[in-house]
Amino acid sequence: MPRVKKRHVLSGIKVKEAMRRQVIKLPYSAPIDYCINRMIKYKINAVLLTDEKQRPGGIVSKTDIMSAFYAGFPTHTPVESIMVGPLLYCYPDDELETSLDIMHHNGVHRLYVLDSEANDVAGVIAYPDIVGLLYRYCRACDKGLLKNRRRQAEYEYRRLKVKDVMTASVTACHENDDLVNVIEGLTEHRCGAVLITSAGNKAVGVVSKSDLIVAYKHGLAVNVRARTVMSTPVKSCPGEAQLSDAIQQMLLRDVQRIFVHASDPANIVGVMSLSDAARFRSGSCRACTSSRLIQ
Amino acid sequence: MIARDIMQTRFHTLSPGDTIAEAVKCFRSASASETKKIFGLMVTDHSDHLVGMLSMYDILLFIQPKHIQIWGEMDDLDPSVLYDERLEQVKSILVGDIMTAEVVTITPDTHLMVIADTMIKKHIRRLPVVDDQEVVGIVYVSDVFHHLLEKFII
Repeated sequence: MPRVKKRHVLSGIKVKEAMRRQVIKLPYSAPIDYCINRMIKYKINAVLLTDEKQRPGGIVSKTDIMSAFYAGFPTHTPVESIMVGPLLYCYPDDELETSLDIMHHNGVHRLYVLDSEANDVAGVIAYPDIVGLLYRYCRACDKGLLKNRRRQAEYEYRRLKVKDVMTASVTACHENDDLVNVIEGLTEHRCGAVLITSAGNKAVGVVSKSDLIVAYKHGLAVNVRARTVMSTPVKSCPGEAQLSDAIQQMLLRDVQRIFVHASDPANIVGVMSLSDAARFRSGSCRACTSSRLIQ
Repeated sequence: MIARDIMQTRFHTLSPGDTIAEAVKCFRSASASETKKIFGLMVTDHSDHLVGMLSMYDILLFIQPKHIQIWGEMDDLDPSVLYDERLEQVKSILVGDIMTAEVVTITPDTHLMVIADTMIKKHIRRLPVVDDQEVVGIVYVSDVFHHLLEKFII
């Protein structure tokens, strides 16, 4: 019996249509502080490293830089010493879904796109970019949550709220804890940011990996208090907020997670990351299932 | 005609430790004190050595949300509120964090034709003039333009 090929939102989208063509590269000899400069300027989580013949050899991510900060490397250390390899590739004509499968299989959030003819890196496809792409599709999708909003209240019960999706356990540190505690918390819970609380468990700020690498670049020591580097105010939304509104807020504010507060905004009861949000979409179409691939 | 003849010797600089707010202020005061709009400033360290450049474009790029292409479809948002929030968010970022450190420079003896060629090929609108590590001036694309094309003006 012939297989019926189902059409869905992502079918037919090639990697080359979704990839980011701007690839930020650095030579092995570049100092860590310049690598941080590139990450901040271009808002990327990882930089591609190339050898003296411009061949790609590995990457350095924000996590690697945070570890170098923790380990006390001076910021002029060449990035080569904290590089991670080998690189994972896909090709411009691959199906987008295949590349999502590779990411899922390897537990990574980005793949470099290799142009086999030129034997060079032509782009990069990162998971958050795909979430952004899917979000655009879902806004236009008839089955989507956003269209339902304009219909009658009978659909109301189907729409997901932030409280349905959020993680109730929040990694938090006290504002007087030092950055060593913060980095250990981030590493132990494998998250991108910790909530900072003051006396009485009130949320006062957030320290993300980005805040940490900026602190590292500015020459701060790992024993300074979390209070000195935290970003304020805490970006949060109420648990009753619509999931789609929360995703929109995350994309526009350039944050990869949003905290969830109870009736008092200083009382944080949960956190939701962009990938949590993507995993819990309404679910019937392939765009929604694909976006659940990475946990 | 060489760089020395057309370069501006009055220029404004930033320090890598300045905040973005200070940089924005410097852009405003530099444009006010010059006869032209200033779109890019040199960044120098405490010994007056050039360490980078910061353009208005760099600051705008940094303030913009990364997934801006989605924004075009969100007609129900008030951008001014978002920008206010973002400005609050970037307070900890310094000039040194987002400046371009790989700067193309020329010497006071660089020929005008070479300057024009560099600007065209590398899409550069301003070139710092560096003499033995010290910044001595800056050449803007408008200076090159007016010097090269003066004879067209009747």
